[in-house]
Amino acid sequence: MNPKFRVVSIMRGALLACAWAAGAALAAPSGPTATPDAVPAPGAPGAAAAPDDFKTLDQEVQGLKKDVIDLNKDLFVLEEELLFPANTQVALYVSMDVGSFFALDSVTVKIDNKEVKNYLYTAREADALLKGGVQQIYLGNLKVGKHELVAFFTGKGPVERNYKRGATITFDKGVGAKYLELKITDRLAKHQPEFTIKDWE
Amino acid sequence: MRNLWLAGSLIIAAAVTGSLAALSFAAAPTLVGKDAPDFVLKARDGRNLRLSEFRGQVVLVNFWARWAGDSRQEMAALDRINTTYNRAGLVVLGISVDEDLIRAEEFAAAMKVSYPLMFDTGARIGRDYLLEKMPMTILVDRGGVVRYSNVGFKRGDERAYLDHIRELLRE
Repeated sequence: MNPKFRVVSIMRGALLACAWAAGAALAAPSGPTATPDAVPAPGAPGAAAAPDDFKTLDQEVQGLKKDVIDLNKDLFVLEEELLFPANTQVALYVSMDVGSFFALDSVTVKIDNKEVKNYLYTAREADALLKGGVQQIYLGNLKVGKHELVAFFTGKGPVERNYKRGATITFDKGVGAKYLELKITDRLAKHQPEFTIKDWE
Repeated sequence: MRNLWLAGSLIIAAAVTGSLAALSFAAAPTLVGKDAPDFVLKARDGRNLRLSEFRGQVVLVNFWARWAGDSRQEMAALDRINTTYNRAGLVVLGISVDEDLIRAEEFAAAMKVSYPLMFDTGARIGRDYLLEKMPMTILVDRGGVVRYSNVGFKRGDERAYLDHIRELLRE
């Protein structure tokens, strides 16, 4: 595991534990008030103040919980930035338009001739893509410069035939993040699916 | 007196051996109580099945191998269980860890079981599930947590599976 990632993870864990412990300590009745004998009798002085105290305590606990969630979100963003810094980040997405001529089964992605992802699609996942969903299939780091990406798509083509097609793109990885989209569309004129890779500048 | 000493020594030796065995058993890694590692595999009928998509159902995952003697008996038992409890919300998945895909496929075809059989040729899923001996069966509850694990298959195990399955289906 990346040491930076480990440090952030430990920080997150410790922070969560501390915050929840503090919340629990605030919420839990302590000392003599915890014993049934110490509960003020109805009508006794202080009995009216107790609900207000509990309300304040509850608000404090809720506030603490919210802070923890916010901090956790910030740490998650920090973690992402450390693991995938914007200047080396490359993200691949898969989308499907119409899909009448192709039933997606799997996608294999190679960057610079090295397999980085092999993804099998269940019927539900393929259906989600057909309904307009876009899937982030890969997130990684690449050095600045020229790179070649090859994507292989397997599935059932027209007339239930097994289908395997590839698409290639050579792209320039600049200083910023790179976003690429693997698109599956229908070529109506030929009644065939079409596989393209779009470089989002 | 000598016999008494001998008997005492034997009892102590047995106790020590038993404790050591218990310790080694306790130290064996197990996934019980933890989230079941997710996986996706192609079933023999061509469908891709992902464990997390069965969330809400009780899932029995059986790791089998053609060369594991108990697998044949266990698969027959699991087929009976699947036939009975499938409609009640049980999903049975069989995962082969055979490296010889062709022979594993032949074995799977010969078994004619009613539940999906899949092939983990790279043994990646086996590693995730801390697979050490074959066959191994685990039960995953409706929330995706491993609740029971069994290695091997002997007389009485089918009854134990049924007890655990009924309990998990009731939750």
